[in-house]
Amino acid sequence: MSYEVIALLMFSSMMLMLLTGQRVFGAIGFVAVVASLALWGDGGSELAFSAAMKLMKWFPLITLPLFIFMGYMLSESGIAEDLYKAMHVWMGGLRGGLAIGTIGLMVIISAMNGLSVAGMAIGATIALPELLRRGYDKIMVTGVVQAGSSLGILVPPSVVLILYGMIARQPVTKLWLAGVFPGLMLAGMFVIYIAVRCHFQPHLGPALPKEERDMPLGAKLALLRAGILPFGIFFCMTGLFLLGVTSLVESSAFGAASAMIAAVIKGRMNRVLLETTVRKTLAISCMFMWIILAALCFGAVFDGLGAVRSIKTLFVEDLGLSAWEVLLLMQLTYIVMGMFLDDTAMLVIVAPLFIPVAKALGFDLVWYGVLYTITCQIAYMTPPFGYNLFLMRAMAPPEIGLRDIYRSVVPFVAIMAFGLLVVMAYPQIALWLPEYYYAHK
Amino acid sequence: MSSPIRIYVQGIDTMNRFIGRIVMYGIFVLMGVLLYSSFMKTFFISPNWSLEMAQFIMVAYYLMGGPYSMQEGAHVRMDLLYDGWSDRTRAMVDVVTVLMLGFYLIILLYGGLSSTGYALKYGEESYSSWAPQMAPIKIVMCIGIFLMILQALSSLLKNIAKLQGEPLT
Repeated sequence: MSYEVIALLMFSSMMLMLLTGQRVFGAIGFVAVVASLALWGDGGSELAFSAAMKLMKWFPLITLPLFIFMGYMLSESGIAEDLYKAMHVWMGGLRGGLAIGTIGLMVIISAMNGLSVAGMAIGATIALPELLRRGYDKIMVTGVVQAGSSLGILVPPSVVLILYGMIARQPVTKLWLAGVFPGLMLAGMFVIYIAVRCHFQPHLGPALPKEERDMPLGAKLALLRAGILPFGIFFCMTGLFLLGVTSLVESSAFGAASAMIAAVIKGRMNRVLLETTVRKTLAISCMFMWIILAALCFGAVFDGLGAVRSIKTLFVEDLGLSAWEVLLLMQLTYIVMGMFLDDTAMLVIVAPLFIPVAKALGFDLVWYGVLYTITCQIAYMTPPFGYNLFLMRAMAPPEIGLRDIYRSVVPFVAIMAFGLLVVMAYPQIALWLPEYYYAHK
Repeated sequence: MSSPIRIYVQGIDTMNRFIGRIVMYGIFVLMGVLLYSSFMKTFFISPNWSLEMAQFIMVAYYLMGGPYSMQEGAHVRMDLLYDGWSDRTRAMVDVVTVLMLGFYLIILLYGGLSSTGYALKYGEESYSSWAPQMAPIKIVMCIGIFLMILQALSSLLKNIAKLQGEPLT
């Protein structure tokens, strides 16, 4: 059997195993160890555990549990309520203003946390009920929350970019800075979409009556104080990291600690909150870590098969594609696979195959990292498998059904795909800031 | 279902829950080590052990905490089909696929034991200026994986019991 056939066989058996509904890490790990034993016998039996040792040496992953902890802490800390109230008063007068304000809220949350969990939790528990009460269209607002929170992995800090940086061996600082403008650009596109749509179909997002948001200008300005704590957290974490005071993993500990302090300041901290947060953190961290563990083993088998070389040969020589066609094809492959397979596992398995190809074709790997992250955002939202979908289902108010959730992502996925093309066509959107930063450091 | 099996399932679930609920507070130890390291680095000399220590804590955290999170149903499943099945069908499929999951864990443990054996025999040290012994953390990792196997077995037994119409929980 040729290696290509084996690789294909592995992929399809993984797909089958996942369809049985067994836990994702078990499905991937099983295919990986069976393949390694079949290929290399006893020598292949060590592969699974060496993945655990490799995972340990990927020390930037230490940030993962800390970011998760921080996300849950933030969503319970009461910061978001204050921010939301400010958005309410300032944006409520516009048609669709609250939805636009929600996107703004999500950008702020994204600048504090590197995952979409925090945004989802805040969006589903604070923004969604309020939006529904105001008569906003449930399908649109469900999409707003999912799309907005997915910015968490593009706007720095970003865990996906950390993971990508380890695989591609690129500095995290550069990657994070490269994510800033594409992230803001996507947020801008979401806002334009909501504003235009609600302008023509006002019933989707009615403006708030004047009396409800009417207050003296002084009170309006006072509401902006809600921004102080988030800025403090942003500074403790990303600020100190960019200034070179803290290392990457240290900065995530600072972030986690500052979120706790914020909860104390807001008077929300108590034993129950602490216990729940810690328990949820363990659950989500374990889920991600075990998946990465199994995916690393799977990736190691692929590596042993020389899959990188065969993919390059397939794309460049056999299909005779140009560099840009290969790039498009790679993103497309990732989006389609990301729909059905686990997004984190895909990153760990597929990124090591694609990155060398992108490098050999002469593309900038920092820019490619941003493309990858946007693709990941899309994968987070596309059914049947996506973390934002899962989180949405777990947290959404009961009147939002599965069909609503699936339908809600369509326009936003289209916008993100468009944004992806824009960043592809104009790499400077991503690369300008890191270049500026390094030139003036 | 006979009572030894009931005792096993309850015993393992209780033990892993107990361990998990201790391990989950490890996040604060992790935070503490990193904050200490950053403090020392800024005002004194950076400690040479903190990063590696944090790595060890992280590994112990997710391996020892894995069984508890499995009990809590935190490990995601692809539910395209799974969601539409009856409880009985789910249990039937799970009985088969949990064995596969168990096989992965056993191979994981097998590799772990051989690696730990090597570390013990040759006194393997990490390549760093701190140069800690590798055996202790590898032993912890093996224990975590072993607990995961026990938990998977408990889950298998629960599913079998469900199929026999005498659910254990």
